[in-house]
Amino acid sequence: MLWVDKYRPKSLDKVIIHEDTAQNLKKLVTEQDCPHLLFYGPSGSGKKALIVAVLREMFGPSAEKVKVENKGWKVDAGTRTIEIELTTLSSTHHVELNPSDAGFQDRYIVQEIIKEMARNRPIDTKGKRGFKVLVLNEVDKLSKEAQHSLRRTMEKYSSSCRLILCCNSSSKVTEAVRSRCLNVRINAPKNEEIVKVLEFIGKKESLQLPPGFTARVAAKSNRSLRRAILLFETCRVQQYPFTNSQVIPPMDWEEYVLEIASDIMKEQSPKRLFQVRGKLYELLVNCIPPEIILKRLLSELLKKLDAELKHEVSHWAAYYEHRMRLGQKAIFHLEAFVAKFMSIYKAFLIATFG
Amino acid sequence: MDFPDADELQWLEANQEEEVEVQEEEAEVQEEEESPFGLKVRGERIYENEDELFESEEIPQSPEQQSQIQIRSSEKKRHRTRLEIDDDDECARVSVRVRVTAEHENDKYLSRYASEIDGDCVPITAPSGSGERVYAKLDKQFFSVANKFNMATKASDIGLISEPVCALLQKAEQDALLKALQASSDVQNTSISPETSIMTEELWVNKYAPKSFTELLSDEQTNREVLSWLKQWDAAVFGDDIRNTGDEVLSALRRHSSLPLHQRNLSASFLGKSRGPIYARAYMGNSSMLEQENNRPKCIDGSLNKMENGSGTLDQKILLLCGPPGLGKTTLGHVAAKHCGYHVMEINASDDRSSTTIEAKILDAVQMNSVMALSKPKCLVIDEIDGALGEGKGAVEVILKMVMAEKKSSGGSEASTKEEPYGRKLSNKGRKSVSLSRPVICICNDLYAPPLRPLRHVAKVHVFAQPTVNRVVSRLKYICNREGMKISSTALTTLAEYTECDIRSCLNTLQFLHKKKETLNLVALSSQVIGRKDITRSVFDVWKEVFQKRKPKQSRKCDFSPSKTPDTHDSLYVLVSNRNDYELIFDGIHENFLQLHYHDPVLQKTVQCLDALGVSDLLHQCVIRTHNMSLFAYHPFIIITIHQLLGRVETPSIGWPKSFQRYRSLLMEKIERVRSWQTKIPPCISRHLSVDSFIENTVSPLLHILSPANLRPVAAQLLSEKEKNDMAQLLSTMVSLSLTYINTKSESIANNLPRDGIINASSLNLDPPIQGFVNFKGYKPGHYELTSAVKQVLVYEVEKQKIVQESLARFMHSVDSSKQDMDDARDKEKGMTETFRVHQARCDSYKKQIIRNASQKDICQPHVHRDTSSLGFGSTSADAMKSKSTGDVKKPSIGSFNFFDRFKKLSRKGRYDVDSFEEKLTEAEKDGHHLLFKFNEGFTNAVKRPVRMREFLL
Repeated sequence: MLWVDKYRPKSLDKVIIHEDTAQNLKKLVTEQDCPHLLFYGPSGSGKKALIVAVLREMFGPSAEKVKVENKGWKVDAGTRTIEIELTTLSSTHHVELNPSDAGFQDRYIVQEIIKEMARNRPIDTKGKRGFKVLVLNEVDKLSKEAQHSLRRTMEKYSSSCRLILCCNSSSKVTEAVRSRCLNVRINAPKNEEIVKVLEFIGKKESLQLPPGFTARVAAKSNRSLRRAILLFETCRVQQYPFTNSQVIPPMDWEEYVLEIASDIMKEQSPKRLFQVRGKLYELLVNCIPPEIILKRLLSELLKKLDAELKHEVSHWAAYYEHRMRLGQKAIFHLEAFVAKFMSIYKAFLIATFG
Repeated sequence: MDFPDADELQWLEANQEEEVEVQEEEAEVQEEEESPFGLKVRGERIYENEDELFESEEIPQSPEQQSQIQIRSSEKKRHRTRLEIDDDDECARVSVRVRVTAEHENDKYLSRYASEIDGDCVPITAPSGSGERVYAKLDKQFFSVANKFNMATKASDIGLISEPVCALLQKAEQDALLKALQASSDVQNTSISPETSIMTEELWVNKYAPKSFTELLSDEQTNREVLSWLKQWDAAVFGDDIRNTGDEVLSALRRHSSLPLHQRNLSASFLGKSRGPIYARAYMGNSSMLEQENNRPKCIDGSLNKMENGSGTLDQKILLLCGPPGLGKTTLGHVAAKHCGYHVMEINASDDRSSTTIEAKILDAVQMNSVMALSKPKCLVIDEIDGALGEGKGAVEVILKMVMAEKKSSGGSEASTKEEPYGRKLSNKGRKSVSLSRPVICICNDLYAPPLRPLRHVAKVHVFAQPTVNRVVSRLKYICNREGMKISSTALTTLAEYTECDIRSCLNTLQFLHKKKETLNLVALSSQVIGRKDITRSVFDVWKEVFQKRKPKQSRKCDFSPSKTPDTHDSLYVLVSNRNDYELIFDGIHENFLQLHYHDPVLQKTVQCLDALGVSDLLHQCVIRTHNMSLFAYHPFIIITIHQLLGRVETPSIGWPKSFQRYRSLLMEKIERVRSWQTKIPPCISRHLSVDSFIENTVSPLLHILSPANLRPVAAQLLSEKEKNDMAQLLSTMVSLSLTYINTKSESIANNLPRDGIINASSLNLDPPIQGFVNFKGYKPGHYELTSAVKQVLVYEVEKQKIVQESLARFMHSVDSSKQDMDDARDKEKGMTETFRVHQARCDSYKKQIIRNASQKDICQPHVHRDTSSLGFGSTSADAMKSKSTGDVKKPSIGSFNFFDRFKKLSRKGRYDVDSFEEKLTEAEKDGHHLLFKFNEGFTNAVKRPVRMREFLL
């Protein structure tokens, strides 16, 4: 078992980072009055772990007994019937699902399925909770329509059902939904916190840590706890008595983005752009989200850039990311950013060096 | 009714029944150029034929006494005429003809104006003169006879269809002829009271449709190729009939050796004639037919010659003609087929085109030949094959099937049977299979229509080019002259350009204007009622149009060049909005535009173009989201912008956009792979592992973790303590993520060929192939690749671990069902619980594996693997697990268990999963000491020796 899974905190008490949040949540749950919750924060910061811990706090250990179900739903949408297949993860007290998997049809999931789930009160109410919990992941990927349908459900069935929403960015959740929830921000752990966690794991695994080694891993981790722990374990596997000069392996896709960035810096022409397109496709094909590619590419480019241009380039990156989110074909916008960068950079080169 | 003998039939076939028309005009024709001998023979034949027709008519008509009498009388008259002709020679007939024409001039029965004639009259466009219309009086009696005559002609020769196009014209002319004959022999006729005429007019399109090969307006290159393709069939279709053709034909063949050139000359000369002033046109049909008659045997012999030279096999059995509408594809198909002596059988979109019907029709076409001795071989023309998606597909399938059958059945038999009489061979083929033995011409508008894809590979494809404007205009002009319409050639040119040389459209427009008594006005062309064609061009054309600037072509257009740009925009707009497949268009633009050579020093155009593409994407997404389809109307403007940015004069090379589709499908596949893997992982782990976070943060470190560099490929008990720990850690990771290595043979070659390093036939790969997620082109992933020996050890150990955990889970399950409060206790023994939970989830997959192993039994060498698995009680199971994870394989086990028994039990267990736990306990007791038989494919680090059951039982 990976250390990431092995040392994931099981209860709110055992949480190492976000201790304050955990304590607040605990208070919230024990006071019997739990509102809808919206957890948001970057990936690898521990949202899911907190949610699981909250569930355990609410329902006790039986909340951990989960089973995966793959169920097909038939939704009657006016003239036609839509068949949706959805994977849910459920215990006796809660259901966890990922409504954005349905793509364009997420609206129906929210309107029909979630409503259906929310309407039914739990039969066995002799336990301490009179409600059940729906955990919705990746709410930010829901379409606007789906989010709008969600808000009525949240109000109407709040007596029998609590929603726990989880997303990366709260800005893509509509105001209406946000205002109906208690927003819990789970920020990316600071490097010191990561170090703390790594040292905890090191102690548990009885490893000898040279001073500063965990800090190096943490610095490499991009403030993602998951990545930090995985890197830590990787180092452990590759070379055990740790040395300070040990190489911490990079992410493969980040290396590839670096390659692309250096390609772009070397030559600016439509031909080169065409090559870059091929490489971007390679990344996209491997399921790497285009936003992350753009972000990474920008940071790689900024490293090599004259200070004068940094502002402008960042502006355009934001501009194209926005369009990418609005649109559907990420490659168009990624490529447009690359072209824009090439154009700016080339103009700059011509202006400076003649 | 008796039939003429075979020779005559052959002739009749060749002459295509058009001779009926000819008889009237032969006098003039003789004057023109042809050898009198051939004509005379033909003339006689026809008269004989007509005679028979008359006879045949008599029988069914018998109840109607009156009409019969009429027929008889007319027949007698005819006979008289015929006798005269038969008895006399050439000159006599000419004299008759002259008399007829003379009477045309003198007689009262013909007049310019309908009102001047008493009784019924028929409008006739005068054969001589410049297309004037005269009205011929009708004798009541005679009219009916003539009608019947026509009817009879049609009825009796089903096989020899008379061309529908010429029907009316022919009828009118025949009426005139008969009347003239009547007049010459029987002067005293009753006069008829005057009446007004009802003027019926045929569509010009049909009226002036090309009747012969040389009249075709389409590109001569294409025409010739179609014809030569058809000729290739001759040997197979007409068989040894060809050998009967006379010596003069063979000599003609020699002249004909350079067919295309010869033909071009011919057609050019005819065209010249057609443009000429007066009557040349009137005999166009006739003369070209003569020419055709000359050509046919020659051509046949040409191919016959070829056959004899030994290159007779037809490689492409289907001809696919494609091009925009109105260029004469269908006409070409028909005319060419007729030219080569086929009877055309057309199947178009209006017919039932399901595969069974089509098949029946094709069989008809093949086999009817023998039943109806009179008929010509048939040529199947499938029109608008791209039209109907559902049913048209059926047609394509049937044809493909037949072609394939052909290819299979007649591999090299062609060469051997070549020397046999062709007739026998043909019949053989007909009986043997339903392969194609008649030419099939398919006609479509869009070559790239999806249902045609398979057909494109087997068929001979001809793309119709537009005829030149000059050709169209000259033809239009000629027709206008004939119809007495005054029109300037510049106006016609504009019209032709406007309709993009769609002759049908031009003619319809002209006729319409003619009816309205208007003339084509050059200036107000656009305001006049000219149907603008709603053309849907192939998407390639659209791309080409986008990337290519029109050349500033005519000098006169250069005068007002500022107004030219909006014009091209207009046309592009129309083009794009008619195509209406914006997503594809944009994909194509995106895919191709970087390959163009446009001048762009600081990439501003590129940026703008990509921005435009981005806008299109946003628009598209918006439409999809809001279902506001009216927004689609704004797409063409984006395309026009791109055209403005990138349009170059030179021809772009355009490829079909594949990469986006490829990306999309691959992405789906990979996401699906992760998802399915996730379902295999126990939920307590998989719930924390979304696809994104897996790809972004997990894969690379995970691959590093899974492939430690310092793992030695030795048996587990030889490892040092530290290595054992590492190994245990690795194994627990692999098991918890349900990863293993499997032998991938064919699959890896099919799927992973582009990836380097996995070329060798069989190699061990991670079972959910997660290493695929870091395989970028031109990039080598940083993780260490384990040697296959290590992998084998790992596979082995993982399997073992799984088995251990599975049995443990069974035990736990039975205990669990009795005691619910095991949770806390399990929390303490952490490892145990984890494995337990892992196990519950994996029970099923393991079972499947066992089943698979069982099924593999016969292909792999059975390897008996002794294992101890104690399913006793808590403490012993823990012990057993420990001993197993350290790899103590050699520990002798007590109690044996047949593999198949075990398998049976397992499956049963699967069925009654929630069985009463007492039974399970007893079973567990029974299973307490069992022996595992396990089959590992290609697993070699064990010593094989025969073992008796007894030895295990000790």
